Amino acid sequence: MDLGSLAKEAVSRLDSVHSPESLEAFRVDYLGRKGKLTRLFDSLKGLSGEERRSKGQELNELKRLLEEKVKAKAGSVTSSGSKKDSGFDPTLPGLRPPLGRLHPLTQTIREINGIFERLGFEVVEGPEIETEFSNFTALNIPQDHPSRDSFATFYLQSETGRESPLLLRSQTSTVQIRVMQKRKPPLRVVAPGRVYRPDQVDASHSFMFHQIEGLMVDDRTTFSELKGVLQFFLRELFGPGTRIRFRPHFFPFTEPSAEVDVNCFLCQQKGCSVCGGKGWLEVLGAGSVDPSVFEQVGYDLKRVQGFAFGLGVERITMLRHGIPDIRFFFENDLRFLRQF
Amino acid sequence: MKISTNWLKDFVTVSPPLEGLADRLTMAGLEVKKIETRPDLKDTVFEVEVTTNRPDWLSHLGVAREIRAVENTGLKLPPFQNPEHRPMPSGWRIDLKEAEGCPYYSACLIEGVEWRETPDWMRNRLAASGLRPINLIVDITNYVLLEGGQPLHAFDADLIRGKEIQIRCAKPEENFLAIDGSRHVLSAEDLVIADKERTVALAGVMGGKESEVNERTRNLLLESAFFHPRWVRKTSLRHGLASESSYRFERRVDPESVDFGRERAIYLFRELTGARMVSATLKAGRKPTPAKSRIHLSLEQVKKILGMEIKPSQIHSTLTRLGLEPKNEGPEAWGVGIPSYRPDLERPIDLIEEVARIIGYDKIPETLPSRPPAEAEPHPLRQLEEKTQDFFAGAGLFETVTFSLVNPNSFDSSGIDLLGAERIHNPIHQELTLLRPSFLVSFLETQSRNERAGERTVTLFEVGNLYSKAHGNDSREEKSLGILLAGDREKGWSDSKRNLNFFDLKGLVESYLDLLGIEAYSFSPQEISFLEESAVLKVKNETLGILGKVSARAQTAWDLRHPSFLAELSLEKLLRHIPPVKKFREIPRFPAIERDLSIVVEDSVTMQEIVHHIERLGKGLIRRVELFDLFRGGRIPKGQKNLAFRVTYQSLEKTLLSEEIQRLHEAIASEIAGKFQAAFQKKV
Repeated sequence: MDLGSLAKEAVSRLDSVHSPESLEAFRVDYLGRKGKLTRLFDSLKGLSGEERRSKGQELNELKRLLEEKVKAKAGSVTSSGSKKDSGFDPTLPGLRPPLGRLHPLTQTIREINGIFERLGFEVVEGPEIETEFSNFTALNIPQDHPSRDSFATFYLQSETGRESPLLLRSQTSTVQIRVMQKRKPPLRVVAPGRVYRPDQVDASHSFMFHQIEGLMVDDRTTFSELKGVLQFFLRELFGPGTRIRFRPHFFPFTEPSAEVDVNCFLCQQKGCSVCGGKGWLEVLGAGSVDPSVFEQVGYDLKRVQGFAFGLGVERITMLRHGIPDIRFFFENDLRFLRQF
Repeated sequence: MKISTNWLKDFVTVSPPLEGLADRLTMAGLEVKKIETRPDLKDTVFEVEVTTNRPDWLSHLGVAREIRAVENTGLKLPPFQNPEHRPMPSGWRIDLKEAEGCPYYSACLIEGVEWRETPDWMRNRLAASGLRPINLIVDITNYVLLEGGQPLHAFDADLIRGKEIQIRCAKPEENFLAIDGSRHVLSAEDLVIADKERTVALAGVMGGKESEVNERTRNLLLESAFFHPRWVRKTSLRHGLASESSYRFERRVDPESVDFGRERAIYLFRELTGARMVSATLKAGRKPTPAKSRIHLSLEQVKKILGMEIKPSQIHSTLTRLGLEPKNEGPEAWGVGIPSYRPDLERPIDLIEEVARIIGYDKIPETLPSRPPAEAEPHPLRQLEEKTQDFFAGAGLFETVTFSLVNPNSFDSSGIDLLGAERIHNPIHQELTLLRPSFLVSFLETQSRNERAGERTVTLFEVGNLYSKAHGNDSREEKSLGILLAGDREKGWSDSKRNLNFFDLKGLVESYLDLLGIEAYSFSPQEISFLEESAVLKVKNETLGILGKVSARAQTAWDLRHPSFLAELSLEKLLRHIPPVKKFREIPRFPAIERDLSIVVEDSVTMQEIVHHIERLGKGLIRRVELFDLFRGGRIPKGQKNLAFRVTYQSLEKTLLSEEIQRLHEAIASEIAGKFQAAFQKKV
């Protein structure tokens, strides 16, 4: 065998070496005391000077090459070779980057905003500290209405020089007023935000919660369109098969007014504790904007009509995720937040 | 309100099953919340929710009227006809002094009442409606109240002094003992019924103990009146006194039912008590008339609002079923007469709602608006809010929603001045009176709660308003970002653990500012009352926020395990420094050269001073100066620190020559060494 084929053979054999044991066998086979190269070196003794020197050089090069390759291979077979020997354990936990969360209320608000944005609504905001005008008067709530009482609305401590008391808005309907005072129709807006009422805190009440208000105004918006828009919205949110009913109700700032129910998806309308045995869940208040509201913001009654609606973000989030107690939202227990 | 379905049968046809009727009422706006069978009373009770615009539903007759409309059936009134000629009560007079609080008052004398048992049918109906039978006289007045909605009051006529009834404002400091035994000191704003000497009833709210009917009562003075809703409500609130009567007066009683209710009661007194004599009625004042007794409505209006086709005959018949009186004013227009029990109907829109709800909202088709959406305004603050939430949630923090109202005492250990803070005038708890000026206490409370639950790392953020008094008389709410870091830096099993610190917080803020495209920001040390190791964030000399370590005092006050690091930034101020559109900048095509620079300086020298200086000396070729090591101790003398920088040189125009940069770098290094008078090590 000439040196060239020997080199080829050695290199190809080395390729199939995958363990320290077989590598050692390979080393002994070629480079060991009785190895193939050692034997070739021995055979040089019988050669003449010139030939011996050139063959010797070639042999030395091959020996150095193989020694290097064995050394290199030694590194790789020990570090990633047989499972038995290495410490690699793929069941060790992955090194995760920390994972944060958006608050579940934020997630619900964004989802709802997103549905309305697809219908051409614009997301707007308004102040939490409000006037009696925006929170009551402009919304057609009479001067002596109980919701103006101090057990129904938080008032701010009066400051000298304030003409009329300031309050914490008790509903996001105030944003309707702000938007209409500033802009002319056509309008399509939704307004999410915090609202405040002096309720005692329990599993379903909190003195601070979130609402989303919606308003659409132009010269021809009908009650039929209110039904269409809310049906689209509720089926997007609760699923395409959702059954919806509009029940007449009363709000001072809409007329005709409705409460909107969806079928109780928890009991398939058989009646459960969440729907109070009724099979329906109330999720929205809505109606055509009362003309007196348009009057308050200085719109021309002959040229405008529209609808408004409002929903409680906590309630919708609780229903969708099966959260039994509103207090979870404000405790911010990481074990709760991590779930969403 | 509880409605006995047996009772309803006196007035309308109630066709079984009752569940069907309940459902139809609910879908017409009179929600039946519960159907309760009462085998003990042989009755079924509807619990209905009465909306504030429909006080006429607060009676069985009112609900029966609604059933007439919904079921399209007839309506029969209960008997209330009494002998026409009745003698005037001799010597009695009514003196109406306060006509705003009481526009209309009537009373009559019923003599020779015999005490009998209340008949079972009446007891059962009262019980079904949730009222406890008391005695026949009171039961009859309660029965009439529940039946037709008119509150009545029966005085023992022999206990009224001077045969005189005055309707007047109370005298200041006047004492009053109510039937329920509660004592009240009256004010001049209370409307009272008085005899010649003293107050005998708080008008519309509750009668007085001293003139209450009792077993010895033989002669009654029966009062039926219209009291102004606001007067009754104020008095009821002022004295914490509420009754079935005040509940209805507050919501407005039908003025016509004053006479109807009185006559119905007299009928029952004559039937059930054997009353010998009933006097003619003494009246004072005038019945208020509704603002509008006729409303004009057109088919066009109905169609335009509802968005549906509807026949004129349908509108006419619906209005008629409701007890309204539509008169044709052309083929598609009506003048609609409004009865006194519907003062809520004032405008065409009110009638459109009536038509819609009786026809049924479910008959109105759903359509989607086909007009293009209106032009929107830009909302940069909202966009910033969303971007902020996404960044910090992505960076591993948890978004919180904490209360805007907090306990002012929890700021005690903070040193925050609450003089400029807004407060609640009527808090529900004495603790929650302050509109928060800072996220501090909300966050520390959340940290504390989570530490107690065993969390080792608490990293929070919130986007919400902070509140303060503004200049002048205004109030200010500022959309702000709060961040809190506390506990272990979350690292996996392969890394060593350490506590989160100031620079984790600062780094977060820096990355956030980079994301927003804000350049030229700086952090300068500044004392902040509730923070230690604190700094302010400035952009172009405007302070946008603060950050630092929460003071040890607060830390102790909240009993926290880990040091907390807090940042508060004003999003509204931040917004002004965000470039509207990020402009493209050329990407350098020529290679960069890095050189290290190490320097030992006094602790008082800030890194920023050195960096600024290096950059100034860089002849425009320095692209970046990064600190990659800070070392204290070892061979570095106490009070000094070793800073190691990596300086990156790069030109936009050409490839820099290594030798050229080496010379520049050495010049900078020696200049820096000289300037900051520190030991200087050269690294290759």
